[in-house]
Amino acid sequence: MTAENTEKTSPVISREGSTDIHAKTAGSKAVKIILITVSVLFLFVMLVMPLITVIYEAFRKGLVPYLEAISDPDTMSALLLTLEATVIAVVINTVFGLFAAWTISKFRFHGKKVLVTLIDLPVTVSPIIAGLIFVLTFGRQSVLYPFLESIDFMVVYAVPGIILATVFVTFPFISREILPVLDAQGTDEEEAAALMGAKGLTIFRKITLPHIKWALMYGIVLCAARAMGEFGAVSVLSGHLRGKTVTLPLQVEILFGDNKFMPAFAVSSILVVLAVVILIVRSIVEYIGKRRGEK
Amino acid sequence: MYIELKNINKSYGGFKASDNVNFGIEKGKLVALLGPSGSGKTTILRMIAGLENPDSGEIIIDGRVVNAVPASERGIGFVFQSYALFRYMTVYDNIAFGLKVRRMNKAAINERVNGLIELIGLKGFGNRYPSQLSGGQRQRVAFARALAPNPQVLLLDEPFAAIDAKVRQELRKWLKDMIHQLGVTGIFVTHDQDEAIEVSDEIIVTNKGRVEQTGTPIDIYRHPATAFTSSFFGVTSELSDYMSFRSFDDIGEYDKAIVRPEFVKITKKNEFQKYKSSAVEGVVRDTQFRGNSIEVTVNCNNCTFSARRGLDEPAVEIGEKVDVFIYRIFVTHGDDVKLLKNNALREETVVI
Ligand SMILES: Nc1ncnc2c1ncn2[C@@H]1O[C@H](COP(=O)(O)OP(=O)(O)O)[C@@H](O)[C@H]1O
Ligand SMILES: [Mg+2]
Repeated sequence: MTAENTEKTSPVISREGSTDIHAKTAGSKAVKIILITVSVLFLFVMLVMPLITVIYEAFRKGLVPYLEAISDPDTMSALLLTLEATVIAVVINTVFGLFAAWTISKFRFHGKKVLVTLIDLPVTVSPIIAGLIFVLTFGRQSVLYPFLESIDFMVVYAVPGIILATVFVTFPFISREILPVLDAQGTDEEEAAALMGAKGLTIFRKITLPHIKWALMYGIVLCAARAMGEFGAVSVLSGHLRGKTVTLPLQVEILFGDNKFMPAFAVSSILVVLAVVILIVRSIVEYIGKRRGEK
Repeated sequence: MYIELKNINKSYGGFKASDNVNFGIEKGKLVALLGPSGSGKTTILRMIAGLENPDSGEIIIDGRVVNAVPASERGIGFVFQSYALFRYMTVYDNIAFGLKVRRMNKAAINERVNGLIELIGLKGFGNRYPSQLSGGQRQRVAFARALAPNPQVLLLDEPFAAIDAKVRQELRKWLKDMIHQLGVTGIFVTHDQDEAIEVSDEIIVTNKGRVEQTGTPIDIYRHPATAFTSSFFGVTSELSDYMSFRSFDDIGEYDKAIVRPEFVKITKKNEFQKYKSSAVEGVVRDTQFRGNSIEVTVNCNNCTFSARRGLDEPAVEIGEKVDVFIYRIFVTHGDDVKLLKNNALREETVVI
């Protein structure tokens, strides 16, 4: 390549010393096609194929074995436990998320940066480690254990542990979504409302909530999706007591470990369906939210 | 005094946003807080409203110390610089908000809101959202919203800053009339002296968190009390060495010598100039038509400043040599300011 070439064409595209403008735009068209193809291929191999495989494997032996597999009592109780943990995690994290986001964006105080960092902790810590932390905090070797035992409240290898783990790993999702919106709004409108005599709850309901509604919904969807799929931390705290402390992802693991491939895929298909439902809800929320935002 | 601030101090971190602020405002007056950006005007307004607490000092409204009264109970109308209209509410709901909070009955709310919408000239716009209004319309909605609950005090933070020049002119007059008509006591913040002069009954000049001077616009204009006000107020130019202009007393040490256009008389060489012996020759640098006068910028004794000439006087040309006579100058030293009169004027009074 000559110095002249480099001068005339943009350094990104010209490889072969194509100096004229037309070759350059043609080159960028080719780049576009290549990039799109690569992305589509990547998505297909990484996402679509596995999804098809799951559904295909689940139904390979026909509908009846599929229905049998998913109506297995252990699977049903796993589904219920998953839904229970998800709902509780969403409720707790919604409340917490609102409080945290509000506190962080509306007040100035010492240690604010620390709090913001702490909220992110659950996504940065490996879920397995999170599980272990809870085992150490609430398990037999913990100082809390005698007390928990005396009130007959078991955390480790019990449902509360599962819920705790789920709440922990989905901790930041909602507050993270609301925070930027609250920050962008500033405090002016709330102050204006306060000056007109409105009290805290009215201000929140009438001024703040309409503003963060869509971000909140989006956060809830993300939180629910993550809660349903949680495996690592739950796995550590579960103890795998079938029909008691097994969630859907754990049930899949168990079936897979027992070489029951078809049932494993059948149960997986439930998770896939739930995931697709959530994705659809997410798209709707995003769409409506955007339209409202533009008005 | 209806509103009174006594020895108010407020710091953000180590920064003094209010430094021993004192002033009083009479009932029914519209007062301007005038000062450069960052001089602590908004801070003062927010403390009066109860959105910020002073570190020390007292805020008294209608004879009552309100320091401990929360913002929601002070009954003060506030128009934010950004208007802070509720973006998810219509114009109607924005104005009705303060009344609904007070649990007024529906019919009364309806009547009052519609009355206000009419008052601000936005009839038929009740169902619009703030994003569907122009800047001037938003400003008026913010104004109506603040007035809806019948506050005795109305505070406005740079109410015209975000509005284009033409509409601004109209709104200023509108606001002034409206406030006097309603009989509320108003304080508005501005960094624009023309606005302050035009709209307010009284001006409070702020600088670096302190109150420099309070008084009527004409008072402050004629008798600036501090070095800051003398150079901040009016169109001012500095003379590097005022003694090079004839017939001023030497007061010894000084920081700045300030002239305003109306302190200066420019005459053509062939025109009659009573004080010709005390005039200095200058060269016209620029002339500008100002609507009701011509602004003439001259260069004289290494200084550049301007004066006005009437439209009926003979025109001066750029580059023309003219006589420049200065009637008065403000001379500052430290925080003090002194008005010096040209001695030629005094001699005349003695003679007569
Ligand atoms: N909440 C705050 N935190 C820190 N500094 C502030 C805050 N509010 C105002 N200040 C500072 O106080 C000074 C005065 O501010 P302000 O009252 O807004 O001035 P003005 O309205 O005259 O422009 C500014 O230097 C500003 O940076
Ligand atoms: Mg300000």
